[in-house]
Amino acid sequence: MGVAKLKKAELYYHKSVHEEIAAALQETGVCQIIGDAEGGPAVVEARLSESEAHLADVRYLMRTLTPHFNDPISSLDRTLGERPVVSMSDLSKLAHETDLSSICTKVRGLEHETGEVRLELSQARANQGLLEAFSFLPCPLSAVTEGTRTLAGVAGTVKADQLEAFKTALREFSEDTELILEPSYGAGGASPASKPKAQDIHVVLFFTRSRGPAVLEACVKKGLSVLEIPSAFKGTVSEERTKMTASIATLEEREAALVREMEEVAETWMPAVQKLSDYWNSLAARYTALGRSGETERTQLTRFWVPAKDAEAVQKKIEAVSPNVALFLSDPAEDEEPPTLLENGDYVRPFNILTELYSPPKYRGIDPTPLLAPFFFIFFGMCLGDAGYAIVMLAAIWWLFRKYRRVPLGVRDFIVLFAFSAVSTFVYGIISGSFFGNFIDSFLPFLVPVKNALMLVDPMTNPMQVLGISLLLGVIHLMFGLLIAAYDNFRNGQPVDAIGADISWFLLIVGLCLMGVAMGGMVPPHFQSVGQAMAIIGAVIIFWYAGREKSGIISKIISGFLALYGSTSYLGDILSYSRLLALGFGSAVIGMIINLLGGMAADIPYIGWLIAVVVIAGGHLFSILINLLGAFVHPLRLQYVEFFGKFYTGGGEPFTPLALSEEFVSVKQ
Amino acid sequence: MDLLGLSLALFGAALAAALSGIGSAIGIGIAGGSAAGVMTEDPNKFGSCLILQALPGTQGIYGLLITFFVLNKLGLLGGAGAVALNWNQGLQIFASCMPIAIVGWISAIYQGKTSAASIQMISKKPEAMGKAIILPAMVETYAVLALLTSILMLMGVQVG
Repeated sequence: MGVAKLKKAELYYHKSVHEEIAAALQETGVCQIIGDAEGGPAVVEARLSESEAHLADVRYLMRTLTPHFNDPISSLDRTLGERPVVSMSDLSKLAHETDLSSICTKVRGLEHETGEVRLELSQARANQGLLEAFSFLPCPLSAVTEGTRTLAGVAGTVKADQLEAFKTALREFSEDTELILEPSYGAGGASPASKPKAQDIHVVLFFTRSRGPAVLEACVKKGLSVLEIPSAFKGTVSEERTKMTASIATLEEREAALVREMEEVAETWMPAVQKLSDYWNSLAARYTALGRSGETERTQLTRFWVPAKDAEAVQKKIEAVSPNVALFLSDPAEDEEPPTLLENGDYVRPFNILTELYSPPKYRGIDPTPLLAPFFFIFFGMCLGDAGYAIVMLAAIWWLFRKYRRVPLGVRDFIVLFAFSAVSTFVYGIISGSFFGNFIDSFLPFLVPVKNALMLVDPMTNPMQVLGISLLLGVIHLMFGLLIAAYDNFRNGQPVDAIGADISWFLLIVGLCLMGVAMGGMVPPHFQSVGQAMAIIGAVIIFWYAGREKSGIISKIISGFLALYGSTSYLGDILSYSRLLALGFGSAVIGMIINLLGGMAADIPYIGWLIAVVVIAGGHLFSILINLLGAFVHPLRLQYVEFFGKFYTGGGEPFTPLALSEEFVSVKQ
Repeated sequence: MDLLGLSLALFGAALAAALSGIGSAIGIGIAGGSAAGVMTEDPNKFGSCLILQALPGTQGIYGLLITFFVLNKLGLLGGAGAVALNWNQGLQIFASCMPIAIVGWISAIYQGKTSAASIQMISKKPEAMGKAIILPAMVETYAVLALLTSILMLMGVQVG
């Protein structure tokens, strides 16, 4: 239970078997290699850079081909364990048969060609647009692109609001120029004022070749921006447009063919590339680990952490590889900080993920998982709090486990966490009388007596009762946290801190609560004096503890009062648990609203029942999703902020063993 | 003046849904911009981004919840007809709507900003998803408290 005991292993072996040894360690999946990357033996370094070169190819192919690949196994399926099962020797065979670099060359070629075709295509489309803009030109384009011996032409645009000034400037050259405007501005066209000022007007200007430089200078000064017409255009605009349309069609065909080819390559090679991704990742990890070992002329030394319970199996596995090995196991030294592996039984293990999400404990710290598990269980149930929703969750989980038979352990634990939570939701739903909101009252009146008989609390008519329960749970949770902190302090040989910082607050808060409930008449009156005594003792200890290291009576008193003022933070902490009522209430009321809307829809003639079914089913599904998020996040917050705040800081390094990469395949041993 | 009470109560109910809805829309918008930015780099983060983006959406739901609560209390849902309400009672219901209307509105915006920052965080450190969810949830606490206040106040108001 709690943090797993680790052994420090020193493994000496003959260099000739280093590959096999590393492979065996990796297959066990329970050894975390110690040591910095020193480079290690030269042969290892060469193998590592070889693996990394292959990995670079694999990554390139994955990145380029994935958008073209219609993966038959969805990523959800893969997460839930639907992966091809292969052995490492299959993978190694595949790696020898597959020439990654020639696939890369092919894909690079395709990628390059596609890029070029796309560039040409975009140029062609731009030219097509240009031709369209100048479709008003009555003469062949060669008049602009080449001109004649005496005549030259230029095409361009002028802003609508500069058109008049431009025309005026041209008057000076009226003998030598001829201006053609796009039709809406030419003779009989609309006046420029009716168009937006910034609109570009396409113009073509012909001029006597000898006056060219002067004309052009004047025009550009007055707002002409010249558009380059490609010199290949010689025929009339409509002839060129036909040609251009044909060449665009050809280019599009080529592009489509290239994309198809890429898809074919992806379909042919992606399954292998995915497998090789796992293979080369595994090998790279293996050689990185070997690179961390020390060496002499003939032997190599690898150090690693291994869970004490697995040590024997590891030893057997290594000795099966070669007789020339020596494994020494020792307990971690006082000044060493081993990584943390949480080890809990079947009922608590799913909650490990909650601790790991925060930060795992230090190796010698307390594992908070078994301590938070029951509270998370109860709190989740109170926040979602609906028997109907719990049934939907459990049915979904049952279906998931039926469909997927090989769910990996980590994912399975996460799903089981929700299954546990659903059980608690079901129980709270029954005792608070919530089944898809008030579905029973609205649609199944004959079940109301059953529902009422099972109800223990009624948040709808008596919310103060549930508020009281929520706050009481809060006090229990917080006080439990304080007692753990006290235990931790005693364990570490700091009894003064345990009493001054933890027990004192426990006495004060519990005492005050006892006084409160005694005054409210909920417990016999003599509890009031007991509570009073506890509170006073607690307050005195807090006062003393805060000022014990201060010199001078005044600073002792000030720090004592400041510490007592800290009780407001406990008030805030306790009130924070009112969210248990609020969220449970929220899901009940949302459910009620959905049923109400469904009932109203049912009154619509003829198709009312259909609308009602859609509203009720869709509404409750939405409600489950949104409340599930809240019911997960808020109890988690109560653990992390209110509970962990009392005793837990985490700060451990998670245990990350050398293991085979299993992103796309499951490796069979 | 016999309709003033009903009008005041409806005004409160409308503000509860409207203000908290506005807040959630802004908050989700802020978070969504951040999520879209992260997803241009790594489309695989869609799932975690979506969860973080959805977090500031609860305020709008809390507001809606209070609105329905009021409508139900006034007998405006389900054809029973409105209950009689004097202006004092109307004002009480109006006041009960204010906590979730105001806190829902503003907290959703700040929660959106925190969500946006959390989304940036998981773009660099995907393993920090747990912490990234908790930070916006810290802001939501006050919306939950406001919801609770509104509910308790509404349950205390006597009508009919």
